[in-house]
Amino acid sequence: MTVTREELAAFADGELTGERAARVAAAVAADPALAGQVEAHHALRARLADHYAPFAAAPVPDRLTALLTREAEVVDFTEARERRETRRTVPRWSWIVGPALAASLALVLLRPGSGDDGAPYADPQLAAVLDSRLVAEQAPRADTRVLLSFRAQGGGFCRVFSGEGGGGIACRDEDGWRLEALGEGSAGAATDYRMAGASDADLLARAQEMAQGPALDAEAEAEAKANGWR
Amino acid sequence: MLDLLPRLRRFAAGLAGNPADGDDLCQMSLERALANRSRWQEGTRLDSWMYRIMRNIWIDEGRAGSRRRQTFVAEEAGARQGGDGAQEAAVELSYIDRAMQKLPDDQREAVLLVMVEGYAYKEAAEIVGCPVGTLNSRLVRGRDALMAMLGEAQ
Repeated sequence: MTVTREELAAFADGELTGERAARVAAAVAADPALAGQVEAHHALRARLADHYAPFAAAPVPDRLTALLTREAEVVDFTEARERRETRRTVPRWSWIVGPALAASLALVLLRPGSGDDGAPYADPQLAAVLDSRLVAEQAPRADTRVLLSFRAQGGGFCRVFSGEGGGGIACRDEDGWRLEALGEGSAGAATDYRMAGASDADLLARAQEMAQGPALDAEAEAEAKANGWR
Repeated sequence: MLDLLPRLRRFAAGLAGNPADGDDLCQMSLERALANRSRWQEGTRLDSWMYRIMRNIWIDEGRAGSRRRQTFVAEEAGARQGGDGAQEAAVELSYIDRAMQKLPDDQREAVLLVMVEGYAYKEAAEIVGCPVGTLNSRLVRGRDALMAMLGEAQ
């Protein structure tokens, strides 16, 4: 029975199992020369391990750890930049949204132009939403969502709404909710991370131009609703 | 990754033959790993992946020829050091270093991965990218060559 040098090394390194291991073990037990080789293998292994141990025990130079920690910072920078860039698209309307922005966006059922003449008014369904829905209280999956409410420069109340079928800005006047602006609205994916679509951003920017002061906060909005938006 | 660094430095120093070149190799490996981190598959071993990157860089560098020159210089420096007789501990250490440097790359990395880093043959073979049997025989050839060289020095 012969044992190859490879087998012997594998045996010494604990790589063999089962029958092969037993076979080599028996050969080693029967042959002092083989036993000596296994011992020499172990001795070399120990010597090399000792020799290289200090390299792993030595303190790691800063330039190497800095690579990793700097990289961690870079990741943070990336996130920070993304946050900054997100903010950068927002500023046009951020101040007006301020207090009211729990604003997530949504699906809309807008049928523009139910009015007889040129000035479109919200249809009864949309009007009902605009009349009753408070930004703070609407369901996340509401078909039409009110993004915010504000007081226009003329003094009347306006509301920005958004939904699947379109979005816009409606201002309350004597006759109802007059549609001041229309946008595309946003597809309201029912996730926790609703993002304002570009058209919503445009609407909000437009709202900011129309508004006097920031958007209504929840309390002011509730009060405006109680007064019929007049 | 930070926890891996000491071991990576050890492997790098073993491949490169001295700590300074080892740290350069280590730095290149970290940079490449960070640049390619999207390729690391979650759930696989980070250490094996890092070792593989490092040995690939080492092999590439060797092919580029720059390492041959460095090794030559390092050996000369080691020999001069031995001539001083003043730093016996360093000389003693350098026997192993120099013996390791005389091994072919494939044998040296097999010896380092198994006998120093403690990888199983299968893991070492995966890092190197060869069959287990090949790894086994490289290890044996490297080991025998080392024993022959170090046996004289003992």
